[in-house]
Amino acid sequence: MSKLNATDIQGFVLRGYNMPYARYGFLHFENSARARDLIRRLLGIVTTGRSWDQGKPQSTVNVAFTYRGLVKLELPIATLISFPVEFQQGMKARGGILGDTGLNSHEHWDELWRNETQVHAWLAINALTTDALEARTGQLQELMQETGGARVLSYQDAAAIVEDGKVTLKEHFGFTDGFGNPDYLGVCRSTQPGQGKLMPDGSWAPLATGELLLGYADEAGELPVAPVPHILASNGTFMVYRKLHQNVGTFRRFLDTWAARYGAGDNFAREKLASKFIGRWRDGTPVESSPDKPDPAIAQDPNLSTNFTYGEDTAGTRCPIGAHIRRVHPRDAFGFKGRLINRRRITRRGLPYGPFASESDASPDLDTVERGVIFMALNASISRQFEFVQQQWVNYGNDAHLGNEKDLLMGNHAAGEKYVIQGDTNPANPPFVCAHLPNFVELRGGEYFFLPSITALGMMAMNLVDPR
Amino acid sequence: MSNINGKVYAMNAITPMRPWKTWILRAIFFVLDHIKPLQADLINLSFIQFARWVIVPRNRFPHLDESQKQESLQYDYLLFFSNFNGTWNQYIDAFSAVLSKGLDLIWRWSEKFPGSTPVTIFKEYIARVQFDTDYYYTAYPNATANDVKSAHIVVQAVNTLSHDAQSLSPEQFRDAYLEFLISVQAHLGDTGEAPIVF
Repeated sequence: MSKLNATDIQGFVLRGYNMPYARYGFLHFENSARARDLIRRLLGIVTTGRSWDQGKPQSTVNVAFTYRGLVKLELPIATLISFPVEFQQGMKARGGILGDTGLNSHEHWDELWRNETQVHAWLAINALTTDALEARTGQLQELMQETGGARVLSYQDAAAIVEDGKVTLKEHFGFTDGFGNPDYLGVCRSTQPGQGKLMPDGSWAPLATGELLLGYADEAGELPVAPVPHILASNGTFMVYRKLHQNVGTFRRFLDTWAARYGAGDNFAREKLASKFIGRWRDGTPVESSPDKPDPAIAQDPNLSTNFTYGEDTAGTRCPIGAHIRRVHPRDAFGFKGRLINRRRITRRGLPYGPFASESDASPDLDTVERGVIFMALNASISRQFEFVQQQWVNYGNDAHLGNEKDLLMGNHAAGEKYVIQGDTNPANPPFVCAHLPNFVELRGGEYFFLPSITALGMMAMNLVDPR
Repeated sequence: MSNINGKVYAMNAITPMRPWKTWILRAIFFVLDHIKPLQADLINLSFIQFARWVIVPRNRFPHLDESQKQESLQYDYLLFFSNFNGTWNQYIDAFSAVLSKGLDLIWRWSEKFPGSTPVTIFKEYIARVQFDTDYYYTAYPNATANDVKSAHIVVQAVNTLSHDAQSLSPEQFRDAYLEFLISVQAHLGDTGEAPIVF
């Protein structure tokens, strides 16, 4: 396949910008004609996937719409009803499927998301500096004022965690995050083994473009289900937005409690236990490749950091069967050379939010301070990809032969749940069971968005969507 | 009156075949039946509890007694029964992704079979030939086939440990207990409610 038409695709889809600052504005359209005018004015600003020959820009702009936003923009009814049903329903209505109950249920969400009907659009800024972020915010606010097209309901800021003056890829639990997204045909970027799909000969190849973008063949050789007309959908995709609060105090206390009984009970035991939860050491070294210690030579080598499989480790003696990364990207863990997972892959974007608490921070409010990750997933089918992973692999475990057990980190736990770390055959390292799992992560709101192509934005701005 | 009972789904599909093609399928079934490795993929799909194809010839339909008039049928029929864990979509996605060649070999003799890829028209076909289940009993609605298999492994290991323990010294018991733990460590999942169907 040749290169994609990158100038028609929003840059946010084709690349992780790798910028330290982000601001997500959630817009409410006041009036459809004026909102369309705003979109028309945004057209020249939205960052496309075109390559950055002059180097990275100071900031980027991207936009996506909720179903209610598209209704407000007065897209033809024939087009509106052609959107996939999960997108029409929205995230809140899919709560049962997603396991968004108990602590994660919408009564506990931020004010913004409790009345989801008001959120019409997501307007995202990524920036290299806070100055660039503010400048871009000012420009967009001016546009909104001039056109009267939208009101900002709220802003969500996010930023990479800075430690010792250096921008890191860490999230608040201390793990290196945000690398290892899937490769897709036609998407130009530096690829590495372990990121696409596993081939029968053990090599890795890019996934079909249609797993990421609408209008292209997917792994089943079909065009993804997409709204009509084709030109509105093509080069667009769907985005899942979730604000995930992290209970840092709970996580650290849990590690302390169980590490005291794991291995020698020392700090190394604590780090090893942490690695067994995720499937990676905190520096990103895959446990599968290096079960006994973090290894920077592996973590920092693109040919090694994502290049591993679980086929030789069916008993979980290296990477536990229920480890987070083994659940959400099982590679060949279910057999069939990974063919059961190639249509469940998602591309993740996003950054942490809130202040970073260093390991020495013993303040009592580690749980209550607003901090977590803004999780965004891009996929051609929210139901087949994101919702499936969330329901079947995060909050359920039959595919991994784990029955009803949930992901230790992300799972919405009930009383009495446990996490089994398979031991190796050395009697000094027996299986270890952590019990009484608390919720380490709590959902504070989110929604499903349609992230259109530049062409589609133009059609929407001009009110020229013809469903035929 | 449902195809779903807890974590299990019962699928019944009935497809007509021209009688001369039935003979080809019989030959294929004969081969599949006698060369076990050909069944490996089907067996390795661990969420399938059971899958069976049966040919019902047009002159072999149930005939209750003499008073029932013999039917005159043009087609033989292929019955497919399956019990699996997970959703209908997940099951057919997996079938299409992993077993497409085998499925095509079996179903291509049925009328209007479109092939098992691409998956959407295959799903449309299955939906058209599927018959809903009138009565469905399952002994363990909160367990999957994997859960039941795991439970067997754990019970067997517990029994062995319990039997051996009678004659073990405390040191020997410690070693035997560790060995027991390691033998069941990948089979300790919980049973429970099925995820919501979507």
